[in-house]
Amino acid sequence: MTRNLLKHDSIADFLEILATFGELHGPVLTDVGVSAFRPLGPGIDLLLDYSRTLVPPKKYLLPPRDTVLFFATDEGYRQPAAAVPETILVGLHPCDLQGIAYLDKVFMRDRIDPLYRARRTALTLIGLSCEPDEYCFCGDLSATETHGCDLFMRRSPCEFHLRSNTPKGKAILDRLTPILAEGEPLPADSRTCDMAAAIQQASVRGETFEKSALWDEFAGRCLSCGACSLCCPTCYCFDIREYGALDGETTMRLREWDNCLFKDHGEVAGGFNFRKSRQERFHYRYQHKYLGFGPTRGIVSCVGCGRCRVVCPVGIDLLELFKESEDEKRP
Amino acid sequence: MKKPIIAIAGLTACSGCQLTLLNCEEELPEIAQRFIIDYFPLGLTERLITGPIDVAIVEGAVSTPSDLEILMKLRNSCRCLVALGTCALWGGIAAMKNQESRKDLAGTVYGSAADELKTFNPQPLHRFVKIDFAITGCPPEKGELLATLAALLRGTFPVFPRYPVCSECRSRENLCLLIERNEMCLGPLIQAGCNARCPAVGIRCEGCRGPVTEANVAAEMELFLKKGFPRDEIVSRMQRFYPEWNYEQRS
Repeated sequence: MTRNLLKHDSIADFLEILATFGELHGPVLTDVGVSAFRPLGPGIDLLLDYSRTLVPPKKYLLPPRDTVLFFATDEGYRQPAAAVPETILVGLHPCDLQGIAYLDKVFMRDRIDPLYRARRTALTLIGLSCEPDEYCFCGDLSATETHGCDLFMRRSPCEFHLRSNTPKGKAILDRLTPILAEGEPLPADSRTCDMAAAIQQASVRGETFEKSALWDEFAGRCLSCGACSLCCPTCYCFDIREYGALDGETTMRLREWDNCLFKDHGEVAGGFNFRKSRQERFHYRYQHKYLGFGPTRGIVSCVGCGRCRVVCPVGIDLLELFKESEDEKRP
Repeated sequence: MKKPIIAIAGLTACSGCQLTLLNCEEELPEIAQRFIIDYFPLGLTERLITGPIDVAIVEGAVSTPSDLEILMKLRNSCRCLVALGTCALWGGIAAMKNQESRKDLAGTVYGSAADELKTFNPQPLHRFVKIDFAITGCPPEKGELLATLAALLRGTFPVFPRYPVCSECRSRENLCLLIERNEMCLGPLIQAGCNARCPAVGIRCEGCRGPVTEANVAAEMELFLKKGFPRDEIVSRMQRFYPEWNYEQRS
């Protein structure tokens, strides 16, 4: 028996203790009715039974607009001071944890991004179990509760079962002991999902669905609004822009979220474009998401959170490609 | 560094774009110090286009012989011509009724005095002269205007986003008025850069910044029709800031 049970009515105490470890953020319902990760504090209710936030937690690691370099004629280039406050992110679903685990591979494996690493190091992740809705399809893609989270909260009718995965998580768990009850560790959770399995299989065989009629159909409807990508927990494409100041002497270099459905994404000097048509951009999106490029080749970066299906104004759903292929297989 | 010589002019418009510049109160001393402002009827007593100009920044649509005369004079004496605001770039509010008879429109407003008016359908600048750069918006965003001036000091133009308002709107974690409220929000068709100013306070995008690159007009139209909006209402909304949409365009 270990002390790992957090009663539902102890949540306020739980959050109070968590707040002593750093700035506390979690999913809340905003004034306009959007689920979003925001700072928690008195009078702000943490959402414990939400389906998904609009923008995933990647915004803590890769803000939509980020200054990556300063320049001044007298002092040359200067990196921004990486003073990142310790931040505790509580209430992350397994899909979002998996999203962060994927971004870690991209930004901290072969070429380390200093700004990303500084923010990631200052982040403590506290996972929360979830119930899938009609848009989710995570299944085994992300059912493994760990995915680099420090502490995981598994919900049962009266309490949360807590489990620490890292020294950071252990330290938090130790401090929580006074408000926890004793309980048996739960057996590992598992979830199966046919769609998740179909995606994995298609990825393994390097499927590109070249002949599908859906590409033209998607391209005809797509508004290029960019929602599918900027709401995706693993889309990390960015553009670099420089903005000079009016003094004529100082400049800022910004990293901004980019999007593979935008015309600019494949455009280079002289107006040449690697992906002139929307069809080509959809193929590219599919290939990056499900087959992977370069060092992430073979890694499916779709975590099944369902955000792209929820936010598309014209109801485009890449899963139709996989469904179409499953239907063909049936006699 | 040689100070760029600039001219700022207004044609058929409300002067709101030029006011955007005057509203940059904090930056005005810096601007006055870094540029030679050669012609700026709204802000200077001297009203003559005198010598060679590096950059002419022009607000408004062209709808009278005198508009055209000023525009030609500026084009002939400047190296770079910048269209400032939606009217200069797309026709804007002034061009809203361009598909109706100019004579009848003038008559409705001015009665018998309309016969004396020398006016034609308001047109964007590029119908008459080559433009080198544009800052869209009704009015333009201060930030984009200042970024343009700052880039001019370095002999270049800034790069502005070429994606729709939705992108900035989602990044701000706004409620989607199109999906969640079924409102006739023009966000997907309209050039970003305003940081979704209106949807951020719950007001649908009215389209004041004009069409985005590769706007999928046909798909947005189908979406609106499916939501039950009558076609004439959609067209009337869309034409408020740009009268020449191609409703069949997909990319």
